[in-house]
Amino acid sequence: MKQKLTYLALPLLMAAAFTTQARADGETIAVFTKNQTNPFFQTVRVGADNMAKTLNAKTLQYIPTKPDSIPEQLSQIEDVVVKKPSAIVFTPVDYKAMVPGVEKINEAKIPVVNITDRSAGGKFLSFVGADDYSLGLETARFLLKTLGGNGNIVIIEGVKGSLTNVDRVRGFNDALKETPGAKLLASQPGNYQRLQALQVMENLMQSNPQIDGVLAANDAMAVGAIEALDGANRKAQVIGINGTKEAIDAIKSGKLLASGDYNGFAQGCLGTMMAIRSLRNQPVIAEIVLKPTVITKDNYQPFDVPLEQRTCPTFEDAGKLGAK
Amino acid sequence: MREAAVVAQPNPLQRIPGVAIVLVLLIVLFSAIAPGFLSVANLSNVLVQSTILTMLALPMTLIIMTEGLDLSMGAVLTLTSLCVAIVSLATHSMLLGLGAGLLVGAAFGVANGWLVAILGIPPFVATLGTLGMAQGLSLIVSDGQSVVGIPHSVRDIYSSTLLGIPVPIVMALVTYAAFHGLLYHTRFGTYIFALGGNREALRYAGLSPNKLLIAVYAIGGAMAGIAGLLMTARMNSGHPTAGLGLEFDAIAAVAVGGTSFERGNGWLLGTLLGVIAVGVLRNGLNLISMPSSVQVASVGVLVIVALFLDGLRSRA
Amino acid sequence: MTDITKEAMMPSRSFLSQDAIQVFYRLLAALLICAVLAVLSDSFLSLGNILNVLRQASLTFFIASGLTLVVLTAGLDLSVGANVALSACIAGTVIHKTGSPALGILTGLACGGIVGLLNGIMVTALRIPSFIATYGMLWVLNGLTYWYMAGETLHGFPAGFRQIGSGYLFGLPIPVYLLLVFLGIGTLFAQRTIWGQEIYAIGANPVAARLSGIPVARRLLLVYAVSGTMAGLASIIFLSRLNSAEADIGESLTLPAIAAVLIGGTSLFGGVGTVFGTFIGALILTLVLNGMNLLSVSANWQPLVTGIIVILAVWLDMKTRPRAQ
Repeated sequence: MKQKLTYLALPLLMAAAFTTQARADGETIAVFTKNQTNPFFQTVRVGADNMAKTLNAKTLQYIPTKPDSIPEQLSQIEDVVVKKPSAIVFTPVDYKAMVPGVEKINEAKIPVVNITDRSAGGKFLSFVGADDYSLGLETARFLLKTLGGNGNIVIIEGVKGSLTNVDRVRGFNDALKETPGAKLLASQPGNYQRLQALQVMENLMQSNPQIDGVLAANDAMAVGAIEALDGANRKAQVIGINGTKEAIDAIKSGKLLASGDYNGFAQGCLGTMMAIRSLRNQPVIAEIVLKPTVITKDNYQPFDVPLEQRTCPTFEDAGKLGAK
Repeated sequence: MREAAVVAQPNPLQRIPGVAIVLVLLIVLFSAIAPGFLSVANLSNVLVQSTILTMLALPMTLIIMTEGLDLSMGAVLTLTSLCVAIVSLATHSMLLGLGAGLLVGAAFGVANGWLVAILGIPPFVATLGTLGMAQGLSLIVSDGQSVVGIPHSVRDIYSSTLLGIPVPIVMALVTYAAFHGLLYHTRFGTYIFALGGNREALRYAGLSPNKLLIAVYAIGGAMAGIAGLLMTARMNSGHPTAGLGLEFDAIAAVAVGGTSFERGNGWLLGTLLGVIAVGVLRNGLNLISMPSSVQVASVGVLVIVALFLDGLRSRA
Repeated sequence: MTDITKEAMMPSRSFLSQDAIQVFYRLLAALLICAVLAVLSDSFLSLGNILNVLRQASLTFFIASGLTLVVLTAGLDLSVGANVALSACIAGTVIHKTGSPALGILTGLACGGIVGLLNGIMVTALRIPSFIATYGMLWVLNGLTYWYMAGETLHGFPAGFRQIGSGYLFGLPIPVYLLLVFLGIGTLFAQRTIWGQEIYAIGANPVAARLSGIPVARRLLLVYAVSGTMAGLASIIFLSRLNSAEADIGESLTLPAIAAVLIGGTSLFGGVGTVFGTFIGALILTLVLNGMNLLSVSANWQPLVTGIIVILAVWLDMKTRPRAQ
């Protein structure tokens, strides 16, 4: 038996060697994310690393030392162009200001995939992102439905000028417009920071004795608002966006109503997948806008998987995940 | 303490400034372990990336020499960069944009000088206040959004070359030469030294230290204006938070370069080397794909080591 | 060195009451702001809001109180925010791993204190100017925290522990009690102990202080260690109030702490200022932000207003203080 297996093994090995030879392996994919501190980007990076490992490529992570620093990301692009990676997966720190950087990448003829924030210019072979507007809209709709279409609402906004913020808040506002029974009391910025959101919420609770719903543009702020409510012994339905582990735990315990799934892991996976596929002359999907999913108490299970244990979607999955 | 150093025996270590040692070590290290570091393209990148900081660090040297500090430079840079973007967008003229940036920058510089000299407010506080004002104005003027669509003439400044040398480097060299000339070869330069070491002498000479102090801060503000043009050119847009925090890098570069906070001794070349050292460090670490957290920590280590070496030098 | 010389170096009683006058003016300013806000907004004077303001101010105050001692010696500690972040992350991890809040609190305080001590060593033994030493430390701490947290968030702490930051005792938030305690300790330390007097002396005239026998290096180590430990305390309050910790929580904490110290009347040249003044400074900053939230003022204006207040406060200080220099 053993001998027969060895005979089988040899041609199999050679076939394997052949097929791996046919693909150009060991490509270097440079992955650009906005900062080191936001857990969302960690999920993007893990997704990218995961996919690269599966496909036999390697990743190089580029993160500004000063969070969200435009000059630094521009410098990193200039450095990367000298290094000439096989391809780039790119989240712009600012979707408008980074356009010259993308153009530099284009000039250097390095293929690049745009993920997360849609860049206002430059040529990309693919875009993988979520639709912040729909996420905001759907998550807000869920909250308003839970409230029965009536109630006093406050919005806690993120960072002014950030694309995700602009779109999410627009989604919130449109959901409010289509619900006549809901009244918007205030819309104050929390800068995507939990301490600020907590203090803003505390202050808002003073000037507004009755708040039924809180629309927070991200999970950190949603959790900050919940802490403020708990501290004052008040109750309100709160939603956030991002689908972080903390948010899912809060949904499980009933403190958070829902969170819009901003699947950084999938974006990292798929962006890297498209980059590698294009290098290997395989078909690429030019646009993947992840369908908005609202994570609630009823459907959180598949999202409750620790980062290390997640697996990237396959190419076939990718086709189904996107809205286009 | 410094007086004691002057009288002491000359020490070979004293002649080599800490920053030069650090810079040489870094270059040697990265040439060895970072592929592509020594290429013309890469070195050119490092220098070009350092130009904006150079524009801030040079006037900062002068200000620190007068025992002052300008914390508002980053915020003023951000504001002037927005002004350049907005005005050049509206008038389609790069020069008018530059003019607007210069005006706004100089205005803030004069305001800083006035607060420090006339009202007597400590520079740290005065410029902390104007930092807030400039930051606030940046947000208000732009409503938190980037300003895009500016004419190509602005953007070309950053990317074009003059006789094969990138324009920003030319600008930085010209600026350095101007400051060098100003500080070491004009009477105004000697006044600046006096402002730091011996303000009484100026009064006895019939000069007004106040007016001179205002001039020094105004120069800082005007340079922030020029740097604003470079920044807008680099991003091809104006952004309300782009330059915030750069003043700390500039101050660190000045300190690393050997200019002391206490007495009026300034070393422009040291500042330039300090700026380049930080740029080389970042670039080298990028090239060897060091994790970002290590890059962050190493900037701190660089600053501490350079100052430590300087401390050894002045004590020896 | 005789006791007479030491006496001569200490700030005299009358100088101290000069500080009291400055604090009085600031108290007036704070009350004025309260009056204006009470008129502009009905919700300002509610008990709930006042307690909120006090609790929000306490976080800034804890950091700023230790910082005050450093600034009194004509130094600066730019690393406080990053210190809070690192200490919070480490303390949080300890609580998660051991289930013991007490151990976590000790760890947070110890971490903060060690960082502070390191700052002090750089300033005294390595002779690095405090601005640069703590600036360098800031970057090193950030790097450590980023690496350690790797983009994760620590969350979910025991309910008992969380009472520290969010609990009430007889109607007052617990951080407010801590604020009063440290206000008392800080003021007593600075005004009534020899060590406190020596710190003022070091700031007023470091050469004279050394000549009169004050162990300058040891006192400097002390003030930086205290500044670091207070940052550690702030990290515990943060952890227990927000029930979570992330790598970037310190970014927005440093500048308000420095502003509070400056608005409170402590001079960067050293030797002048009080812990109580810092408390008023923290209060004023918090009141302004509170007012802007209550009146729904756009966030665009907040840095502008804060900047103007800092300048006004210091200008008023200089106008009302007799020119000793």
